[in-house]
Parts: sequence; structure tokens; C-alpha cells
Amino acid sequence: MMEIRFHGRGGQGTVVATILLAKAFFQDGYYVQSFPLFGVERRGAPVEAYLRLDRKEILIRTNVYTPDHVVVLDDTLLEGVDVTFGLKPGGWILLNKPSPPADLEPFAGFKLAFVDATQIALKNLLGTRTHPIVNTAMMGGLARVLGMPAMTAIAGAIRNEVPSKPKANIKAAEMAYKRVRVLEPDE
Amino acid sequence: MATQKTQTNTAPLLIPCSYLTTESNKTGSWRFLRPQYEEKTAPCSAACPAGVDIPRVEMLTAQGLFKEAWETILAENPFPGICGRVCYHPCEQYCNRKEFDEPVAIHTLERFLADTASRYELKPTLEKLPAKRQKLAIIGSGPSGLAAAYFLARLGYQADIFEALTEPGGVLRWGIPVYRLPVDILEKEIVQIQELGVRIRCGKFVSQQFIEELKDTYDGIFLGCGHAQSLPLKIPGDDLHGVEDGLQFLGKIRRGQVPQLHGTAAVIGGGNTAIDTARSAARLGVKVLLIYRRRRQDMPAFDEEVEMAQEEGVEIWELQTPVKIEPKDGDLLVTLQRMRTIEEDSQGRARIQPESNKRQEIRVQHLFKAIGASAAERWYDPPKKGRGVLRLSNCVLVPQSQSAALVYGGDLVANIKSVVHAVASGKQAAVAFDTLFKDGVASIESTLQAEFVGEGPAISMEIHMGGPRSQRNHRTVHYEDLNSDYFRFSPRITEPRLLREERLQSFGEINLKIGASLAIREAERCFNCGICNQCDNCRLFCPDIAVMRDDNPKGRHINYDYCKGCGLCVVECPRNAMTLGEERLCNKS
Amino acid sequence: MQQVLEGSHAVAEAVRLARAQVISAYPITPQTHIVERLSEYCADGTLDARYLRVESEHSALAALIGAASSGVRTFTATSSQGLALMHELLHWASGARLPIVMAEVNRAMAPGWNIWADQTDSLAQRDTGWIQLYCEDGQEVLDTTIQAYRLAEWVNLPVMVILDAFFLSHTYEPVDVPDQEAADRFLPPYQPRFMLDLENPCAFSQLAPPNIYMEMRYNIQTAMDESLAYFDQMETEFEGIFGRRHGAVEAIQCEDAEVILITSGTVTSTSRQVVADLRHKGEKVGLLKIKLFRPFPVSRIRELTGTASKLAVIDRNFSFGASGIFAQEIRAALCNLPAHPPVYGYIVGLGGRDVTTEVIENIYYLTKNSTAPQQESVWMGLHEVNHAIGHPR
Repeated sequence: MMEIRFHGRGGQGTVVATILLAKAFFQDGYYVQSFPLFGVERRGAPVEAYLRLDRKEILIRTNVYTPDHVVVLDDTLLEGVDVTFGLKPGGWILLNKPSPPADLEPFAGFKLAFVDATQIALKNLLGTRTHPIVNTAMMGGLARVLGMPAMTAIAGAIRNEVPSKPKANIKAAEMAYKRVRVLEPDE
Repeated sequence: MATQKTQTNTAPLLIPCSYLTTESNKTGSWRFLRPQYEEKTAPCSAACPAGVDIPRVEMLTAQGLFKEAWETILAENPFPGICGRVCYHPCEQYCNRKEFDEPVAIHTLERFLADTASRYELKPTLEKLPAKRQKLAIIGSGPSGLAAAYFLARLGYQADIFEALTEPGGVLRWGIPVYRLPVDILEKEIVQIQELGVRIRCGKFVSQQFIEELKDTYDGIFLGCGHAQSLPLKIPGDDLHGVEDGLQFLGKIRRGQVPQLHGTAAVIGGGNTAIDTARSAARLGVKVLLIYRRRRQDMPAFDEEVEMAQEEGVEIWELQTPVKIEPKDGDLLVTLQRMRTIEEDSQGRARIQPESNKRQEIRVQHLFKAIGASAAERWYDPPKKGRGVLRLSNCVLVPQSQSAALVYGGDLVANIKSVVHAVASGKQAAVAFDTLFKDGVASIESTLQAEFVGEGPAISMEIHMGGPRSQRNHRTVHYEDLNSDYFRFSPRITEPRLLREERLQSFGEINLKIGASLAIREAERCFNCGICNQCDNCRLFCPDIAVMRDDNPKGRHINYDYCKGCGLCVVECPRNAMTLGEERLCNKS
Repeated sequence: MQQVLEGSHAVAEAVRLARAQVISAYPITPQTHIVERLSEYCADGTLDARYLRVESEHSALAALIGAASSGVRTFTATSSQGLALMHELLHWASGARLPIVMAEVNRAMAPGWNIWADQTDSLAQRDTGWIQLYCEDGQEVLDTTIQAYRLAEWVNLPVMVILDAFFLSHTYEPVDVPDQEAADRFLPPYQPRFMLDLENPCAFSQLAPPNIYMEMRYNIQTAMDESLAYFDQMETEFEGIFGRRHGAVEAIQCEDAEVILITSGTVTSTSRQVVADLRHKGEKVGLLKIKLFRPFPVSRIRELTGTASKLAVIDRNFSFGASGIFAQEIRAALCNLPAHPPVYGYIVGLGGRDVTTEVIENIYYLTKNSTAPQQESVWMGLHEVNHAIGHPR
């Protein structure tokens, strides 16, 4: 079973990203479970959402404490939130960032990747200049990093579930898939 | 699957359910208490000397039925236009709404209705009984004489008015200044009385001799000559040049003979004539001192008038009485004696006596006497006693065995001298004559008693004529009898008025007209105490659906086959138009 | 067709498939997604139902009592304080024998304000005459909601379909959503056994004096008994069409178990994993899931627990001054047997605290290693707090 944790802020589409990914993985033949951090929803507040996937039925219905991978939709969260908390050694950290972080110390022991999802979202006119919606770009980036799910499944999930600008969203996912960069761990 | 269809559901199911009509269960047999529609008397209408059906007037006004509302006033009072202006509206003091927020502006609405009727030149539809053979002579065309003629005409009698002066109206025309009562309003309401068949003969001075002659042609005579003779001051200098009679001064102004005044005028007195004189003088450009021997609160003048006089600059000097007037270089030197209160009588009015050595002199250019008036001729006054003399609340009846009965009314018998009391007097006289002719003198008092509005002494012409109002319980509705949960706070209308400065520049009417929407809003404030305004609460709250709508004028009735006497309807009636009484338990059949 | 669905939406899909005719609810977290989706369905014509907006939960149920009396299929959903506000009308709905179906999302009662999972809200309504069904996952929620109409309409009793806040209501997972044709086969149009009818007027719920009231109450109890029997028949039929069966109770590896964990709601699902893991380690543990709480399946529970040496009841609820409510019921079910396993009571997860695999494992070992159960419930994982001011130390 794989567990992925998503960090974002209310309004960025973090929860939607996990749902879309759940649907994409499900289309790819996985059993899935996704849920948000249960609580009160406010725009701009740090939010977490989770995705579990497995080849067989998932029985546990508990919170995610030791994720295999982490996706960070908003790099300003890095200052206040320990995104590596509970992260299993060797797990991926995918950041929405134009360039690699200057200080790699906090990420030691993990695999780091980054993609400028904000730029991609703006290019595709997703959200507004002040509040770009980066979730679909990050899905593309994650698909590249994990090698799954297939981009066709991601495009399918977006087409079925995103009522506004599905084409631009698929484009954003594809652009991120191409542009994501991986930083090899500095052992 | 087909199972659902073929399988009969035999699961246990026992529920309270009846397909019988519940109409077979005549729950009326459970009843110990019996609610019924019983309209009662609103305190305002009982407080109105003319007994006007005020809650009904306001109900109709709120419904926009202005003509019907106006006619409802006319049923009891021929002068809505006049009383809407000059009445001191004792009704408002008794308004139950006073206990809730502020009383309804009853007089403002009365005036609105009369103005509206006048504006659209409405002709009232008034109930008038078939013509009778008796004829009545009315001496004096003041408010009591006009009212007596009006009610007599409606009862089917020929009424002829004899007026000494050139035009009818008496004190309404000559005594009340136009800033309170414009002449056209008076004339309209007099014409309305004439249209009922009343004849008015002006310029006919009535002597005792003439009365005797009238007795040959008339079956009854109403004496309403009023108090037109001012009382003398009975002090030295009473007859000096510059000392004038207040009533005559007011009459002159009404005739257009506007006197030239200058300097300061002193007005002696505390009644309504004194106030009218003072305010009229103020409009003619002089400084006015109102000199009264008792205290401000003891003045018989209506409070509101006194207040407005003060607003207009009239200075009130209380506890002062003139003892001497002397001429001084063309002016008047008035010596005033200071008075003091020694005690209060049972009505709270001060008893006074002179305070020794407290005198002062004032110098004025004019002095008006207005300390009261009396009948111009001694024989106008009713006999103090005598065989068969019947002293009623608002008139005195002297039956004559062989000739026409005499009734003295208006100011000649009134304790409170007001227009509405004059109306009460004229109405009482008309009812007394009618009863005398039909049932004899012995029935008069009991008839009046039965026609009281509430506990009296106001009587109702509608009740006398057997209208729907005669069904009402005489019990007065108190605030505690109402269900105030249904009323919302709402401020009383402020009657628009001329500014103080505008008032002093002319004799133009002070109070201004209001529009229909404001009038409706004000009328909606009325609780309609004791009468049904079709709010339908009784029907809506009845748990037994025993209150039924129907076509009768009340709009609904109680089906006693099903009413089990819970009394909810009575409790939820906001205006006490229902009563819960004991069911007669014996021999129900 | 299998879809990734939120638990709340699984309820909404089931109500759509059941062709509910009148829906009325008042919003309260975490139930809101259910009626939000249904209101959209009513607005866009997907569902041909009247959606009644009301000013409170009390009014919502009152409206449905009126609607159900006129012989239509009805639905409402609520949570926590909302259910508490309905209390009076819960009695009315069952007493009037109206087959109303309600989704109840288990949420803690305030104060302090808490929107998270806790079963005390619905268990506090156990005496109102409603059938109560506790679900563990999205599929069961969907299936049970459809089944609830069959059950309710057969025995003329209202049914509560109960799901945990967030752990179920807000969790997305694959759910098979049947097609309408299959749903219609299982659930034909409602044929009321009584209804308000303008052509044939009648009065319901009138005075029931002492000479008949008791019989009416007894009749509700016999209908409850009937629903217990009918539940299996109904599930067999359901299985015939959809190939799934959940059971009023479900025993997992209980035959040879020494310790049986007894659970309800989403804790069951996690416990399945724990039991599998413990079995893998050679522990003789079983799991008894209780889905049907009212009527309480006493004889089934007696049969399934008879062979165990210890029972560990895991309650995400509490009756103050007593114990966990499932534990009470289990004890009551067993106490008149000549011999029965001792019942251990554990309190977990109140107000949404996570019930992890570790907690459940811990309960197993505590039970296994204990010689006899203590009188009081064991509260799992309590933090030490300063009781004077109520803050964690």
C-alpha cells in the first residue's frame, strides 16, 4: 500500500487533486482511498489531503501518519510546516518551486523533485494572477516522478471531473510532466 | 424480483386510524364553557360625549372605507369637520393604546375623514326614519340647536331653527377663531343639516312672547340660546375706554371688523374664551398677558390650547386678580392682587384667597374681560325646580300638560362647555322628545339609560334607532382584556402644524391636512377594542375547526355541535370581541 | 459501474436510485454533502422529487411526517445536534409507523464544539423506535440506503442509515453504483399500506387511551422482530440482484477465536486489517461486526460469541454514568445465558480521535492478557490533563 500526503492552502485545489489522482489511479487499476484532513475549511489556511493506493482492497480507515511520498503545492508552507514529518526514508518530496531550494539540509534522506506549477498554471490561465490553481500541474509532475499513473488516466480524470477549462488543465498536467526536475539525493 | 408483488405484507401494523368521519363525534357535548361573539364597548367611545363609534370608524378607515367611516361618525355627531378641529378629544385620554405606547390620534383621523368627504363632495347616506306629525322649534343655531335639529330630522320630525343673528352657527361662527375653525367647514356641515329638511330662520330674535306663540304651532321647543353675555369684572374701572369684552372682540374679528391694537393687552380669565382672545390679540401684534386668579393647572381652558397660546408668546400670570383699573395718559393702570392657594378641592382645583399686601400695578393699552359668560336673558336659564322638571345629564326637560314641552340644552345646562357636549345635549334632547311623543314622559329616563354607550352618560343615536350597535355589551373593554401579543409598537402620527412664526402672521388654520396613507397607518394603530375586525384569529386557532366562515355580516359563526369550549378563540381574539361564558348545563335540549 | 465516490455521495446516489419523492433537510456538517448533492439532483431534474427547504431539523422531519402520511417515499439527513433537535418527531415518525429513511452522520455532541466522528448522537436515540443500521464503508452505505426503503416499507418503521463523520462521509473510494433498472427491480414503487387520501378521508394518530396504547407499543415491538427476520430475506434478494450481502451482523474468523473484538462503523474496517495481521502472527482473534443495532440481533450474537473465551467491545460512544453503549447491549444480550464469555468494554475515538491499528491491537492484547474484566470501561489513549483548568499538561 502506498500513502501520499498533499500539502497546500485552502483554495488551491489540494483536496481536488487527491480526488482526481484517486480517480486516475483507480482507472489504472488500483484500489484507492482519498480524504482530506478532517477539519474546518478556510481559504488560505494550510490544508492536508491524503491518497492511499493498493492493488487490493484497502481496509484501514485511519489518518495517514507515515506517508511514502509528499506533494507540496505551495512552497511558502515550507517555512511553517514540517512537510517531511513521518515521511518514510527514501520517499519523494515534490515541490511547487521554480528552482531547487537553497538549503537542502531539511530534505536529507529523501528524493527531491520540483516543478514551477505556478508558472504553468498562469500560462494556462488557471485561477487568477494572485491565486493560480496549481493542482492539475502538480498531478502531472507527480505522475512523472512516480512513473504512475499513466498520463492518459490523469487526462481522463480531469476531463470527467473538472467542469471548468478541462483542456487547459490537461495541458498544465502535461507541461508539468515534461518540466519536472529531479534532484538526486546528495548522499 | 417478483416476490415483492406476490408476497402479501403481513408485517404487524396497528396504528390509530379512523376512516369514520369525525363529524359523528359531536364534541360539542363535552362543553362546559361557551365562547360567543359578543362585541363590547371601547373606552374611547364611552368617553366621547357624542358616543361616536370610534373603534368602528378607525377600522373602516384602516380598510380605506373613508366614506363609510365618515358616515359612522355622522351617525352620532353632525360635526366631524368641526369636532375634528376644535374638540378637546377626551376619547384619546381613554384610548387603551395609551397603556401600550401612545393613544391613537382620533381627532386627526376624524378631521381627515371630514376633509376627504368635503374634497370629493360626498353626500352621506344617513338613516332617516319615516316622517312623523310632530314639529319642533329650536331656539338658537349654535352647536346644540343644530345638533338637536339634525337628530330630530333623522328621527322623522320637522325641526325649525330660529336664530337672532344674521347667520347660523352661534359660538361656532362668532366665538371660535378661524385659525381653529375655518368658516367654510362650518358652513358645509350646516348645509348638510339643512339638506335633511331642517329650516333655519335667521335674524329672528325670540322673545318670551314669541315662545308662547310657538307653542301653538309646535309640539316641542328646544332652547339652546347659549351663554353669550360676558360676566362683568365688578371692579372699579370695568367700563373704561380700552376695557373690552373678549367674546365681542372675537365676534368682531369674525365679522371682519379687525380692531387695531398696540402695546400690551391684558386678558382676564382662564377659560377657552380667554385663550381664544389672547391668541387672537397676539395675532394682531400685541404683547399679551393672560391674568388668571388660580393656578395654570386650574384653568378650565383645554390644555392643548393653553400650550399653543404659550408657544405663541402669550404670558400667563397665575394667581393674580385685577382689583382696580384706572386711566393713565390714555393707557390703563391695572392693580393686581396676588392670590394664594389655601387648599385643593376634591377635583384638585385650588381654593384661593388674597395674599395681604401683595399688590402690583401694571400698565397696559388694552384689557379684555373673559372670566365667563351667562345667558343673555334670565328666562333662557332652565327653572331650578318645578313640577315635572326632568334634569337629564345634558338637558332639562319641562313637560307641559296642555302645550309644547320645553327642553333647555347646550351651554345653558352644560358643566363642561364644549362643542361635543353641545352635540350630546342636542342628541339627548332629540331622544327625549322622541320618547316623550312615543311613550310618554315616564319612559324618558329608562330609555336613555338603555341607550348609554358603555356606562354613559353618552347616548347613541344608532342604538336609539335599533342599529347593530344596540347588540353590543355595554361593558367597557380594558387594556387587560386585550391580547396585546398581536399588536406591534408604532409611533403616533404627529399632526402637521404651521410654525409658530407662521401662526402669528395670520389667522390661517394652524393644523394642516394629512394624506390617506398616513391616515390609514394611524387608523391601523387602533386596537378596535371590543369589535370584530375580521382578523380571523378565532377561526385559525380553533383546534376543532368549529369556527365556520359564512355569509352573515360577522363573517363567521361557531358550530356548537363541535365546539368543546376550550376558549382558545376567546384568548386569541386580540380585541375582546368574544366572551367565554358558562354553559347552561340544565336541560340542554 | 464502479466509481470513486465520496461516502456522502454514495448516500445521495442511493436516494436517487430509490426514487425518493420528498426530501427535506437542514444543513449541518458533516451531513451537508449528502443533501447538497440531492438538491442539485432535484434542481437539474436528475431526481423527480420535491425538495423542501425548512428552518430546522425539527421542521425537516415534521415535513416528512406529513409527506410520508400521504404515501410517498421520503428522505432526510442530519447529524449530532440536528438529530437531537428532531428527537420529539423521531418518536412521532415511528409511532405513526411511517417508513421514513434518514442518513445520520455520526458526529460528536457539543459542547465543546466538535464536528468529528462519535456515535453518541444516534445511540442516544435508540429508544425512539427507529431501525438503526451502522455502516463501515461507501459501498455498504449505498447498499444499505437502498435496502432501508425495502425494510422500512415492509415493517412500517423508520430507518436510520448511520455513517461515521469524515472517516466515511468525506472519504473517496471505489463504490459500485448500480444502474436504475436493477435498483427498480429491487425496489419497486412504494405501495403504502395506509395513506391520507382525499377520496377516502381518514384521521391518523388520534387519541390512544390506556385500553389500546399498550397494544400499539407491543405492535411496534413485533414489527421490530419482523424486521429482524425480514432483513435476511431482503438481503438474499439484494444479493440475487447485486451480488453483495453485508449481514445484520458479520462474524469474521470467530469460530475458533479466543478473543472476539466487537465493533461497529468504520472501526470495523480497520479491525479487519488488524485481525488479519494478528491471525498472521498466530493469534486466535475474531471480529464481530454489528450493523443492525435496532432491533438488536440478540440470538445471532449469542450464537456467534458462544465459543469465545473473551469479548472485547469497542465503543466509539459513551453513556455517562454507565459504559459504552454497545457493551451494555452485549452484556444485556448475554446475561441470561447460563454461561457466557466475560465482556470487556473499551472506549475509543470519541470526538473524531483516530482509532489506529495500534489502538485496536492494544485492545486485543489487553483483553487477552487480562484475567477478568474490570467493572468500568477502559478509556484508550487518554491524555493526561490538568482537570482544574482543562488544558493538556
